[in-house]
Amino acid sequence: MIVTVTLNPAIDEEYVVPEFAPGGWFRATKTDRSPGGKGVNVSLVLKQLGYDSAAMGFLAGFNGEYVRDSLKRLGLTTNFVHIRGETRTNVYIVDEVGHVETGIAEGGPYVKEEALARFMVNYRRLLKRADCILFGGSLPPGVPQDVYRELIELARQEDVVTFIDAAGAPLMAGLEGIPAVAKIDHRFMSRLSGVRLDSLDNLIEAVSGLHRQGIEWAVTNYRNHGDVFFTPQGIYLGEFERRGVVSLFGSDDALMAGLIVAQTEKMDVENTIRFALACAWENALHVEKGCRSREAVEALLDRIRVERLE
Amino acid sequence: MRIGDVMDRDLTALSEHVGLATAIEVLSRHRLTGVPVLDDDGKVVGFISEKDIVKAALPGYFEYIQDPSFIPDFGQFQSRLRKIRNEPVSRFMHREVVVFTEDDSDFFVAMTLIRHNLKRAPVVRDGVLIGVVNRTDLLERIMVVSDEEEL
Repeated sequence: MIVTVTLNPAIDEEYVVPEFAPGGWFRATKTDRSPGGKGVNVSLVLKQLGYDSAAMGFLAGFNGEYVRDSLKRLGLTTNFVHIRGETRTNVYIVDEVGHVETGIAEGGPYVKEEALARFMVNYRRLLKRADCILFGGSLPPGVPQDVYRELIELARQEDVVTFIDAAGAPLMAGLEGIPAVAKIDHRFMSRLSGVRLDSLDNLIEAVSGLHRQGIEWAVTNYRNHGDVFFTPQGIYLGEFERRGVVSLFGSDDALMAGLIVAQTEKMDVENTIRFALACAWENALHVEKGCRSREAVEALLDRIRVERLE
Repeated sequence: MRIGDVMDRDLTALSEHVGLATAIEVLSRHRLTGVPVLDDDGKVVGFISEKDIVKAALPGYFEYIQDPSFIPDFGQFQSRLRKIRNEPVSRFMHREVVVFTEDDSDFFVAMTLIRHNLKRAPVVRDGVLIGVVNRTDLLERIMVVSDEEEL
């Protein structure tokens, strides 16, 4: 079973606003509302690719009900702890003319100790049935900053393969737990290593440290439409074309879902990278996040550029 | 139709040892009328509903008179509820639980729910909880299917 952990889910609201600028009043030409948060997004893409998964974390209030109900209608397994307050709403404004994306994220509801304890009971129970588990996104107020380390360590004790896509202090702590696969934001990697990552050489140097720590796969974005993959078989640069890209929102989550599917199907390194990037690209070809289908992803595979770096 | 295709794949449940106060909190926050009770491996060992909790908190004599007009106010109910709030759910849950498996037909499930007067029941695989079936979800499903057939 694949499990996704989203401690701070959200409702994602996307607005397409041509020539958006601060200070004005605009009318959206297109809107999309969907359940979100990194782990939830990964679960949604996994479903689109034909894989079931269980989504867990915290939900609250009316927004929480919307998220739960949407996932229920899609037939996803859910195991959220419902708490007081309101699940956050994240707003994204896509300017198709200027090709600029603007995002506003809320903080999320406060998680009390008892609620966290209930989550831990659920988590330990699901670990016994899990083959791989993904941790995604920010932490809501009240959850300790080092929670990912504990969760990853518990998963490793049960031989569950762990994936993490987060940022800041929660990611730092998560990396100490030694996940199998880590997605690291380029800007954050720069801060982490203390060097400016303006060249590929600097980037490779910074990520090599993670490899020495025991993290098998590290993925970090490079330029706008590509990622560098640090794998046990070497370092690879993968890129997709700019053509047709509408919104990159959710592409990182589609990439993680692609990595999970590729590893589940035991694809080799190059095909894993190709498949993950095809998922990210397919996600970027329309305003609605997620992939239209596995066929749509596979149609892009031949157009992904993968290069092994020496 | 298989119940596995129409069930709610929600795994909200309680552990045997949690207190009644937590059970009430979970039922209220999740807007549920009852939840499965699981052991550490996720196996269904019981089911607790709001009815079981109300029954546990009502004065002992209520069972004999069966008429709420004899209860003057919330006083006794409240103090009994406070007294048992930390008691484990295992004391009040039903141990003989009606469970279904994914391959059970929707008709069989509907008939069983009606026969036992149940609103919700767990669906299990090898005894482990994998979802729940709700009477209202089933009704909605039957209605959609009959609408489609009419068209």
